[in-house]
Formats: sequence, structure tokens, C-alpha cells
Amino acid sequence: MADDQQFVAFRLGGEEYGVSILQIQEIKRMTDITRVPHTPDYVKGVINLRGSVLPVIDLKTRLHFASSDYTDDARIIIVRFEEYSIGMIVDAVSEVLWLPADQIEPSPDFVGELEAEYIRGVGKMDGRLIILLNMENVAAI
Amino acid sequence: MDVNQYMGMFLDEAREHLQALNRCILELEVSPENHQLLDEIFRSAHTLKGMSATMGFHDIAEITHEMENVLDLLRKGQQQVTSGIIDLLFKCLDFLEQLVEAIVSGAAVQLDTVGLVTRLREAAAGKVADAKPAAVEAAVVPSAAETVMETSHVDLNEIDQHVIDVADQKGLNAFEITVTLSEGCLLKAARAYLVFNALEDFGDIIKSVPEVDEIEKDNFDKSFTVVLVSAEETDRIQQAVMAISEVEQVAVKGLAAGSPAAEKANAPVQAAAKEPGTEDTASSVVATTVVHKSKVSQTVRVDTDKLDSLLNLVGELVINKTRLDQIGSTHRLHDLVETIEAMDRITTDLQSVVMKVRMVPIGQVFNRFPRMVRDLARDLAKEINLVIEGEETELDRTVIDEIGDPLVHLLRNAIDHGVESPRERTAAGKPPAGEVRLVARQEGNNVVIEVIDNGKGMDSEVLKRKAVEKGLLTQVEADRLDQSEALKIVFLPGFSTAQAVTDVSGRGVGMDAVRSKIESLGGNVEVDTRLGQGSRFTIRLPLTLAIIQALLIALGEEKYAIPLSAIDSTIKVNMSDIKTIQNREVILLRGSVIPVVRLEHELQVPEKTGQENEELYIVIVQIGERRAGFLVDELIGQQEIVIKSMGTLLGGIRCIAGATILGDGQVALILDVAALM
Repeated sequence: MADDQQFVAFRLGGEEYGVSILQIQEIKRMTDITRVPHTPDYVKGVINLRGSVLPVIDLKTRLHFASSDYTDDARIIIVRFEEYSIGMIVDAVSEVLWLPADQIEPSPDFVGELEAEYIRGVGKMDGRLIILLNMENVAAI
Repeated sequence: MDVNQYMGMFLDEAREHLQALNRCILELEVSPENHQLLDEIFRSAHTLKGMSATMGFHDIAEITHEMENVLDLLRKGQQQVTSGIIDLLFKCLDFLEQLVEAIVSGAAVQLDTVGLVTRLREAAAGKVADAKPAAVEAAVVPSAAETVMETSHVDLNEIDQHVIDVADQKGLNAFEITVTLSEGCLLKAARAYLVFNALEDFGDIIKSVPEVDEIEKDNFDKSFTVVLVSAEETDRIQQAVMAISEVEQVAVKGLAAGSPAAEKANAPVQAAAKEPGTEDTASSVVATTVVHKSKVSQTVRVDTDKLDSLLNLVGELVINKTRLDQIGSTHRLHDLVETIEAMDRITTDLQSVVMKVRMVPIGQVFNRFPRMVRDLARDLAKEINLVIEGEETELDRTVIDEIGDPLVHLLRNAIDHGVESPRERTAAGKPPAGEVRLVARQEGNNVVIEVIDNGKGMDSEVLKRKAVEKGLLTQVEADRLDQSEALKIVFLPGFSTAQAVTDVSGRGVGMDAVRSKIESLGGNVEVDTRLGQGSRFTIRLPLTLAIIQALLIALGEEKYAIPLSAIDSTIKVNMSDIKTIQNREVILLRGSVIPVVRLEHELQVPEKTGQENEELYIVIVQIGERRAGFLVDELIGQQEIVIKSMGTLLGGIRCIAGATILGDGQVALILDVAALM
């Protein structure tokens, strides 16, 4: 268990992604987002999180997916860094899972350089592939 | 143990003591006979010595120690307060300040501590040769409190004995508890406090040696003794105290009722033979302690971050209250509405208290100026009277932190450029001493700070000529300026009127920095002058940066806030009132042409569906002399808003100054008016 890590798994399009649970502050339902002008297209705007104003990004746009409308399953995952927090919109949150360290592989060669920057590795679990994100780079607006 | 955790506290207190020393020594210079001042100076120096020794800053401890020696001689009247001594004391303060700041920056400073110490020693030795030689040595331990320390065993007076007797009748026991802290214990006072706390759980402490006050000030050696009245057993008490870390030894001894003298044999510290009259000393110490107590104000140091989060929470509470309010009225719940009304009053009070907590008297900034002005006047061989008014005026903490440097600049300028030398002044028929006034007062939601001098004033023609010479303006531009416009030249980057660059001012980087600093705080600065009579710089600052009045407007579905301080007026116009000049849209307002800004375009608001309104609202904004008209869809209303940062990620976005949370929980962006004009 010592090398196992806990991840929150979520869906983006048809793929499954994961973020280390230690980086996650909370998961919220979709809420009103205030658009902020003069920002990149993946910045959806800002939300009110119990009195603080937080930026929210659309993770699909950020990872160059075709964007689609949000369903009722859509969630905002609040990721915390040392200096700030940021929300990211995902299609659905599936579960919290343990991944043994030996089941995590470095990102495969075929992904482009740009994508490789965002990907920390790929976790394997019961035949599922979970793409583990490098949140520092994803959140760098 | 790690001393770093006490570093913040040490630095805060050290700065406070240095500030107090500065102030007192300045006063002492004026009234050298004031013994109260000397006592205060002595106390501050003494505390500083104790603190720095505990923290291991031996340079500071050494200097303060030598200062104490000199001060003690002054106190005892064995030396006169001369200007030489005052200078020497100031010199010490400078050293101490540098040493303290060096701790902050972590930089090594090369100061001639040895030289200073020698000078202090010389000063101490100077005139005391004929006085009893013991005085110099005794100077180290002068205060009454420390005399008590030497006889650190419990002398119960009649009252104490009476308390013990009464307790005995109630079946309570009295204990004499001697606590010895381990060698090398830092912050003994804190440990002692823990001991007191633990003991108070068992019963009442009726006496302590040394007095609690002295213990709090660290004025004791390793051990102290208290008398406790309690129903507990000796063992329990001993265990509880031993459980506190860094307590080396605890001796608990029962005190019998009615036998005051019997207990002295076991007194822990070397019991100095009790002379007749000690009783009196003890009671007189009690008396002085009472006086000290009233001086210690009840304050708690709080991190401003914590205050910020408190403010956030209160804001959140208000927002939720508004929601409850809405639920109450939609569902017609009268009970709920009544309760909410009561809650409304409480939250309003809470909000204003939290805002007040963040307010700090501007005296905190003003405090350091008398010394600065004195030194400056000396360097420049000028005579200056600094008059400070309104130091109790309160400002938000964030503003206070930022306003110091601009004020230093203005004061330096007033003294260096404004006030003339005594000879010039006499020649001009003025009194030789110039006056510089630093005045603060509240005006509505603003705080006004003025720096006024009665010096030579500024000549607008000279200003214009210099500006042209330096290539800051063309001759044509300069000729067009009227008197008040010409005065603003002083705020231009790169402008300086000093003939020679001194180390005081005149590098020409000052005034424009002053202006941009003040504007970054949401304020403005104006200048007024009369040739030959002096100048006046007026700074206007918002009371607080956290809450502002704003006008809420709508653009399509979106809501934005415009700071009211930037708004001149709002007008309703027809589409046809908007004209174009060279393809730029403008309107005519009271005879002047004002450019129109289409906000929805500037803010990339998504295209609206439906017909464009024929009737439009225009918000006329004004910053300095510039005006513009913002075209908006709807005016929602004026409201107090709490400014929230958008965080580091979204900082510095064009056109947006920040965000706020509206009553319904939605986030609205605050427009950066200057960037949109």
C-alpha cells in the first residue's frame, strides 16, 4: 500500500482521467459562472466559492477536445495549489480509486509534445486506462 | 527549541520599543528634566535588552546594556542630559534599528558596535568619577523589581496569611510551590504562564514571588515561587506542573495556617537574610506594579490574513442572509422575516466591527517623522518645527502600510526645497524657524493628509522653464499651461528643481513615484502654492480598499460594477444623440465633446438577440481631467461592494480591476475605468 496513490477519476468525452486526491479541495455541481473578458477561450470565467472568487477553466477546451454543452452530470473540480485554487469543469466524476505505483506508466510516446506536457502518466486498472493529469501545467493559464 | 517561531513577535516588539525610544528621546531633548521620560526610556531599553538576549542577538543586547548604564546615571541625576548625550542615544537607536532590520533581511551588517559601546562607556564614566564607584556596576540591576528578585522567597503579609487562615477553615490547603525552569529555557515568561495556568486549574494563586508582572516581563532568574490555595493533594499539583516542558524541578510545600514565619527555612533561592523593613519594600513594589498594570493595554496581535478571511466570512454571511430574506418574502413566512430582521442588525454591526478592526490610526506612520525631520533639519542646517495634527485618524491597514514612503518624500521635499535657510528667511522678513505641518483628517469616505510648509513656495514660471529645459515639455505646450496645470509639472517623471542632487532629495524620481503610489491606492494628490508663502500637498485617500461604493450596470445578461469615485454623472440619450467625429463616436454634454465607449464591444459581451434600444444610458466617467461616456444597457443601482481579488492567475486582465460578490451570490466584475477610457 505504501506506494499506492488515491486518484479521483472523471470523464472527458469518451476518456477517463485522474487527478491525485491530495490536490483536490472539493467537487461542486455546476454553478453560475461569470464570464471574464480578454482571457483565453478555455477560461470560462469566475465563480463564488463561499466568498472567494475563483477562476474556472473548461478542461475539454484546455485539452483541445471539441467542446459540448454541459449535462447534469457535469461537475467543477476545485484543485488547490500552494498559492491559489482553480476550478475545472469535467463531464462527470466517476469514482475515487487506488492505483498501485507499478500500475502507472509514463505517458505513451504517440501523444504530441503539447499534450505530453499535461499528462503525468497512464494508470491501468482492470483493463481501464486512466490518464493522469499534471495539474500544475494544466492550471497554468 | 526553535527560536524562529518567536521571531515575528520579537521583531514586532523590538520595532515598537525602538519607536517608543525614538519618541521619548525626542521629547527628552526638549524637556531634559522629565524623569518620567527617562524612566520610560529606561524601561524600553531594558525590555529590549532582555528580549534580544533571549533570542541570542548579542549585539543588540550589548548596546542596550550600555545604554542602560548611561540612562541610569541620567535617571539618578549623576549626569546631565546634554545634546551630546542625546545624539549618542540617537546614534544607538540607529544602530539598533539597523541591527533589527538586518535580522529581517538576513543580511550581515558591518557596524562599529565596539566603537559605539566604547563611546557609551566613556559617556557613562565621563562625570561619575567622583560619585560612588559602585553606582556604575549597580546600574545594571537598578529597578525595584529586581531587588525583589534577590529575596525570592515568599514573605506572607497579614492579608495573605488571613486568606490562608480563611481557606484553612473551609478545608482548603495552602501550598508554597517553587518552580525551577531548566537551564537555557527561552521565553521563561511563556513557561511561567503555562505553570500559572495549570495551577489555576487547582485553585487560586494568592501570591507569587516575583510578582506576576515581573514574571511576565521575564524579570526573574530560573525559578519563581507561588502560594496556591487548593483542595488538591501535593502529588497531583506536582505532577501537573512537571508535565509542562522545560520545568526542571517543582517543590510543593504545605503552608500551615497561622504560622507566617515557619516556612522560610525551605525557601528555594538563597534566602537573603530578611532585614527589618523588607516588608515595606515588598508592599511598595506591589504599589508600583499596580501602576504598571494600567499601562499595559489589552491587545492581541492578529495576522492581517486572518482579518481578511474574517471579512470574507462576514461578507458570505451577508450574502446568505439576503437569500434567506428572499425565501422569507416569497413564501410569506412572517416568523422568518422577523428573525432575519434581527439578524440583519447583527450582521450590519458585525460588518462594521470587522471593518473597524482593520483600521489603524495613522499615528503609526506619523510616529517616525519627528526624528526624521530633526535629523534632516540638522543635516541641512535649517530650523524646522514639525507640527503633527490628527494622528488619531484611522485608515485601513493596507493603506497605512503603503502611505509611509510617499509621505517621507513629501516631507523631505518640503524641508529640502520648501523651507529656506534661517538666513534667507530672516532676509525675507519671516521667523528663522520654518514650519512644516502634517495634518490628517477624515472627510466623508476619504482621509485627507496634507503636508504644508511655510517656505518659499513654487514659481510656476520657473517650473515651466525647467520642464522645457529638461525636454519634458515643448515651449508651446508649456506656454499653454495655466497656473494650476503648471504646478502639476512637479509630478512629471524625471523632473527635479534642486540645483544640485543632495542625498536628501532632488534625484527627480520622487514626485512621480509619489503620485503613482497614491493613485494605486485609489487616491489622488494635489498641489497648491503661494510664492514666498509656502506650498501645500493634499493627498486624498479612500478610507478602505476593501469596500467601495459602486454603480451596478447591465450589459445584456451580464452585470458589472463601476466605482462611484470615477463617475461624474449618468445620462439618458437617444441613439441619434451620438455623433461621430472622424469615425469616433462622441456626445455633447453641457457644451463639451465627450468620447463614447461601447462597453459591450470593449468587454466582448456576446451579441444580444433582439432589437437595439432606441433609449440608451451613458455613464460619464472622469479620471483627472479626462472624461468619457460608457454606453450601457441598464443602470441597476448604487451599492456598497466588497472588492475581491481574482487571484494570481487572473490578475492583470485588461479592463477589469477586480470582482465582487452580489447579494444573490453571483460574481460581478469591477471595471478598470482608466483602462477603458
